[in-house]
Formats: sequence, structure tokens, C-alpha cells
Amino acid sequence: MWLLLDSMDQDITAQNEEAVAPQQASPGARDTAGIVEELLVEEISIDGMCGVY
Amino acid sequence: MTATLESACSLHPQVAIRPEPFGALAYHYGNRRLVFLRHPDVVRVIESLSSHGSLREALEANGIDEGRWPSFVKAIDSLTGSEIIRVR
Repeated sequence: MWLLLDSMDQDITAQNEEAVAPQQASPGARDTAGIVEELLVEEISIDGMCGVY
Repeated sequence: MTATLESACSLHPQVAIRPEPFGALAYHYGNRRLVFLRHPDVVRVIESLSSHGSLREALEANGIDEGRWPSFVKAIDSLTGSEIIRVR
């Protein structure tokens, strides 16, 4: 599994940085009544990837 | 099962965690689910869950600011749904 992910590493890191960047740029984006909600986990689907490599 | 601050939790034995610059990847070899753990703090908390009697204890032990606890409860609860985390 990790071997497959190694080949995806750059894509995964890039996607994640893109996802995180808006929060870092504007920490108050999810600020409601002084409470900032962090998105700490994100599930992704890898269904159908088995035939790729 | 819903995870709360008082829940005793642990990492599922079929889950592997791989460190990444943004936090870690968690992969469940049983149900083949893959989850981004998007902050090093959540990785530390998850890895220490089995050593503590409750999520609250794990958060305190890892020095997580109380204002962030709701996000952690939500994250852990989400991970119980994915079977990455088990409520003991």
C-alpha cells in the first residue's frame, strides 16, 4: 500500500498544501463567535486505484 | 459509536500510520480506507489514545489547548466512523 502511495506522494502533499493554505492565509475563515474549527482529518477514496499500476 | 471527551479510544490494530510533512496518512488494511491526518498534533493524540483512559486525558497529556478540543472530538468521532479509531 505504501509503495503505491510513495508514487502519489508529491500529488498528495501538493493537494494537502492547497487544502491547508486557505486556512493559514485566513485563520478566521471558519471563525464563528470566536470559535475556529480545524479540519484535522480528511478521508479520501482509493477505490479503483488497484488497476492503475 | 459516538466518541466524546470521556470515551476511551485506541487505534484499530489493522491501521498503519505513516508520517508525512503535513501530519500523517492512516490506512486501514481491513476496509482499505485512507485518511489524511492533517496536523502533527492530531497524530500525537491518536498515537497516545491507548495509553489514556479517555480522549480528554489524551488531549491534556499532549498539551492541546482546550479551545481546540471540539475539533479534536469531531475528528476522533469521524475516525470511529471510518474504523480507524475504536471506542473501547
